[in-house]
Amino acid sequence: MKLSLTINGVPRSVTADDAGETLLTILRREGYSGVKKGCGAGDCGACAVLLNGRAVNSCLVLAAKADGAEIITVEGLAMGGRLHPLQEAFLDEGAVQCGYCTPGMLMSAIDLLTRNPDPNEHEIREAISGNLCRCTGYAKQIRAIQIAAKRMRDGGDD
Amino acid sequence: MRLRLARTVVRPATLDEAWRAKGEHGDAARFLGGGVDLALLALSDVTTLIDLSGLGLSYIRIQGEHLRLGATTTMTAAIESPLVAAHAQGFLRDVLRKVASPLQRNLATLGGTLARAHPWSDVIPALLVLDAELLLYDGSEKTLTLERFLGERGKSGVPLIAEIHLPGMPEGVRGAFAKFTRTAFDVGMLNVACLGAIEKQKWTGVRIAIGGTPALATRLRAVEEMLEGKPADVDQITSAASAASDAIDVRDDRRASAEYRRTLTRELTARCLLEIAQLPERISP
Amino acid sequence: MTRPSERGFAIVGKNERKVDGVGLVTGRSKFVADLLLPDTLHVKILGSPHAHARIVDIDTTEAEALGGVACVLTHKNTPTTRHTTAGQGYPEPSPYDVRMFDMKVRFVGDRVAAVAAGSEEIALEALKRIRVVYEELPAVLSIDDALRDGAPVVHDEKDSTGIYDAPRNIVADVDIDVGDVVKGFEESDAVVEVVCETQYAQHTPIEPHVVLAYLDSDERLVLRTSTQVPFHVRRIVAQTLDLPLHRIRVIKPRVGGGFGAKQEVLVEDIAGLVALRTGRPALLELTRAEEFIAARTRHPMRIRVKLGAMEDGRLHAIEMEAFSNTGAYGAHGLTVLANTGSKTLPLYNKAENAHFFGRAIYTNLPVSGAYRGYGATQGYFPLETGMDELAEKLSIDPIELRRRNHIRLGETSPIFEKLGEGREGVPQTVKSCELERCIGIGAERIGWSEKRGKRVREGPWVHGVGMSIMMQGSGIPGIDMAAATIKMNEDGSFNLLIGATDIGTGSDTILAQMAAEVLGVPLSKIIVTSSDTDITPFDVGAYASSTTYVSGTAVVRAAEKVREQILSVAAPLLNSTSEGLTLSEEAVKTPDGQRVGLDRVCQRAMYESDQFQIAATASFVPSESPPPFLANFAEVAVDTGTGRVEVLHYVAAVDCGVAVHPKLAEGQMEGSIVNGIGYALTEEMLISSRGRVRNPSLFDYKILGALDVPRIDVVLVDSYEPTGPMGAKSVGEIGINGPIPTIANAIHDAVGIRLRQTPFTPERVLAAMHAS
Repeated sequence: MKLSLTINGVPRSVTADDAGETLLTILRREGYSGVKKGCGAGDCGACAVLLNGRAVNSCLVLAAKADGAEIITVEGLAMGGRLHPLQEAFLDEGAVQCGYCTPGMLMSAIDLLTRNPDPNEHEIREAISGNLCRCTGYAKQIRAIQIAAKRMRDGGDD
Repeated sequence: MRLRLARTVVRPATLDEAWRAKGEHGDAARFLGGGVDLALLALSDVTTLIDLSGLGLSYIRIQGEHLRLGATTTMTAAIESPLVAAHAQGFLRDVLRKVASPLQRNLATLGGTLARAHPWSDVIPALLVLDAELLLYDGSEKTLTLERFLGERGKSGVPLIAEIHLPGMPEGVRGAFAKFTRTAFDVGMLNVACLGAIEKQKWTGVRIAIGGTPALATRLRAVEEMLEGKPADVDQITSAASAASDAIDVRDDRRASAEYRRTLTRELTARCLLEIAQLPERISP
Repeated sequence: MTRPSERGFAIVGKNERKVDGVGLVTGRSKFVADLLLPDTLHVKILGSPHAHARIVDIDTTEAEALGGVACVLTHKNTPTTRHTTAGQGYPEPSPYDVRMFDMKVRFVGDRVAAVAAGSEEIALEALKRIRVVYEELPAVLSIDDALRDGAPVVHDEKDSTGIYDAPRNIVADVDIDVGDVVKGFEESDAVVEVVCETQYAQHTPIEPHVVLAYLDSDERLVLRTSTQVPFHVRRIVAQTLDLPLHRIRVIKPRVGGGFGAKQEVLVEDIAGLVALRTGRPALLELTRAEEFIAARTRHPMRIRVKLGAMEDGRLHAIEMEAFSNTGAYGAHGLTVLANTGSKTLPLYNKAENAHFFGRAIYTNLPVSGAYRGYGATQGYFPLETGMDELAEKLSIDPIELRRRNHIRLGETSPIFEKLGEGREGVPQTVKSCELERCIGIGAERIGWSEKRGKRVREGPWVHGVGMSIMMQGSGIPGIDMAAATIKMNEDGSFNLLIGATDIGTGSDTILAQMAAEVLGVPLSKIIVTSSDTDITPFDVGAYASSTTYVSGTAVVRAAEKVREQILSVAAPLLNSTSEGLTLSEEAVKTPDGQRVGLDRVCQRAMYESDQFQIAATASFVPSESPPPFLANFAEVAVDTGTGRVEVLHYVAAVDCGVAVHPKLAEGQMEGSIVNGIGYALTEEMLISSRGRVRNPSLFDYKILGALDVPRIDVVLVDSYEPTGPMGAKSVGEIGINGPIPTIANAIHDAVGIRLRQTPFTPERVLAAMHAS
């Protein structure tokens, strides 16, 4: 099945094996290896991408559903060689350990900050509640999102 | 984990087209809303997907006093809607916020979750106490209460859900929901939904639905009748909670034992009713 | 010894950005499954449906005939060498009881066959076409079952070695004592005895076990694998496949978490053999279900602790008896068992009499292995709750009881010498210990005196506070070896080649920090290559909390050698001798302010005069294992209507020597604490009456998410370990040991019940409250 997708701003025509293939396998086959597989069942959030602006588990998005959609993956976050404030904050705060959950978590954080530029701690925790991490205990990730939100409010994209 | 051989996608423009497409392919065709359950089930015999996104069912509107939500409305859209926030003081929104994770809520549709009817569903007990009705299509339009829809599943083909219709609620009506989980991102080992109002210190319009027992939620009408018109005090709530605990149909499973579920039923039903009645006390152990 | 603040570190002690960080936040870093090679075969494993059975017949003809199937492996066509899967130093202290594919299956999910095919779908279809005839055997599904007279024998084969008593299902037996505990208990004024049980738990790294095996252009086997132990993988695969070791290269790229699960050779042998037989690359990735069923778990244990003390609280006798369920194979069975005693009992060295004994038992259940904490996590449950009970019996404050008994600076314990990693240990004296300050800081932060014994009520919730103390180790003395090579480039940068294995812990970064500190350069001038058996020198790998202390010392030594070479080249340029020259700010400096840049120095050595490559390799084997120390405090609230336990506030004050990278050290603590809270409250693998894992998914096995974690305060208490690189000790494991006993003690403070079985689910807690 042929799909017309816009991936990280670039219009792409990709071929899915069939309408029931998931966006996760399609994206990874197309080379977007930043989208990770942790469980394949929507339980861990490692595969999260933005689909028409909202963060979703790409392992739960069928090809038929994705057709015509705008997709952002972690590879699309850095703009013109500069890291997104969330990426900077994750690095500064020590919020990245093994990094396997990081792309998915960044997607959830972006979804949150797009709609809520000044989230409280509970709102941040809720936004990443579907992204499991075994390394960090979440403390520094929550802090990094708070710091990124403030930087984005104060000065735009740096 | 994927659907094998799902080669065809049908994109109908009307309910009738959608229904006829289903009729053509029978069990080999499935309706595609958010697709979450389809992706998880990964059924190998599905060859045709009938995409519902072109049917214009992603709306939330007020008609008179009634709240109408199109079946392909995502959970997130419902959570973010000011109309849903205003209905029964935001009860449905508060329940939806506890379902799964934001990642799944951004994709899952209200119609899809009702069609799947997981026994641990949070949405179903909430809609049961909201007296939800469904606008269905199976060649012609018809309206059923959610309760009847759930009762009639499996008897013949499942009709296509077009809309969820919530009757308007009088101003004093409040709801309370308790979902008992192991961690926050989890399905409940018990869900309790209560709705009602206190008029002249007496219960009115009491609704109680309990699910995840592990069976699918049902209304506890006998307990509702027990409370109706009675004083809104701790003793009445204690009795109602005990009655609820006796009334539910429980089993042991991986998440909890039957006995513990009865204890939880009593405790959580009481807490929900106390919350609605805005009483600070607890029931005695 | 110079304190860190006086030493004025330039880079050590700073929160530098991780050297691999940018690649991780941009998604550009390649994990194993991210590298796509053309023509790759997908490998799937057929697991046994039975807990215990003989394979009477196995017919793969139909599977092999399926289009797209390249290779099918069974016991009929694979090597028969018995080995261990445990990634440990050679000779491994684990039995050689595993065959690549055996004629007997010993747990539900045990390997029966493997298929390599052009796609995952074809491989899965081929698995269905393999016809197996089993002769089901009676199974042992608990420690008690396995020890009964006449119990079925899990390992009845003749060619396994290293099993303590196979006919009785005993993998390992440990028994050491100090003094005479029987007499000691008789002499004690108060005696407390507790028996605790811990559950099956799984590491759930978000990246599953995965390997890509392929032949390079010289037909050497390359294993690109998500592992904690690259050098052990190379050796064990060579042994298993009967391949010369030099024909194998193991590369560890980025790894998505390990926690002990990947201290094991679980997938590399199969993928390797497929690549060798077919000439094509082979990708084997376990599904999440397989991670639960057929990977590794924590050893479930039943441990009895008996404590005898005098009226003034001084411990006089300690006895610990541990039975561990090692599952169907004995990997890590002996060493986890020994660690249960060796990392716990020395903490209370004041007890003149001590006895540790235990057995690791085979069952027809999922295989236990290495898991962060490594037996100490289980052991601290009865020990630290027993101490709490003892405090109550003696009417002494629990903190005070710890203070009167814990090991201190300059002290030793006979247990250090008697009990090591499965064999005798090594005598040692504690050379750094800030446990007293840890206890003081933690007590103050949690509000101990304000909250203890108050049982504050908030609706149905009752509050309580509890505490515990612990120690761990820093590597395995006399056994762990690490090495590092540093070579200089003509722009004043250095390549740091280390075997040490970064599995997300940040070891690449902290080891680079140590090198940068010695060499006087910024972190950006250290280029790290790690964990490639062709390029980097040996390191045992990421386990036993060895990396900071052991690998770190090797790095410092190599850097010091390189520094000497630099100074010898620079000296004539500065009209000086090497003595008195220092390295800082990318230059060699004289005391009176002359300088020559490092780039200049290397250019001279590389191109101009008496040319040589400035480079050095250094190794380190520790002679002791300096323990980090930890004091944990928790405030919990218990819902007396439902039994739910919520951790409101968790304080961990830790002495890990100098923290090379404070945020990474905190991160290790925070992550291990959250894992430990899950182990205490929500995580449990459920096994059916037929030995099947009932909840092999993250849907049904609940680890903590962002909405579940309490407020956690990690305090890195200022400390300095004189034997450690830059004063550092390790910190990777100790945090996970705290939550169970701390939360159990807090629950007792709140509602007066003693919990003996983890996890403390609401149902269990409520039942215990009703029973009391």
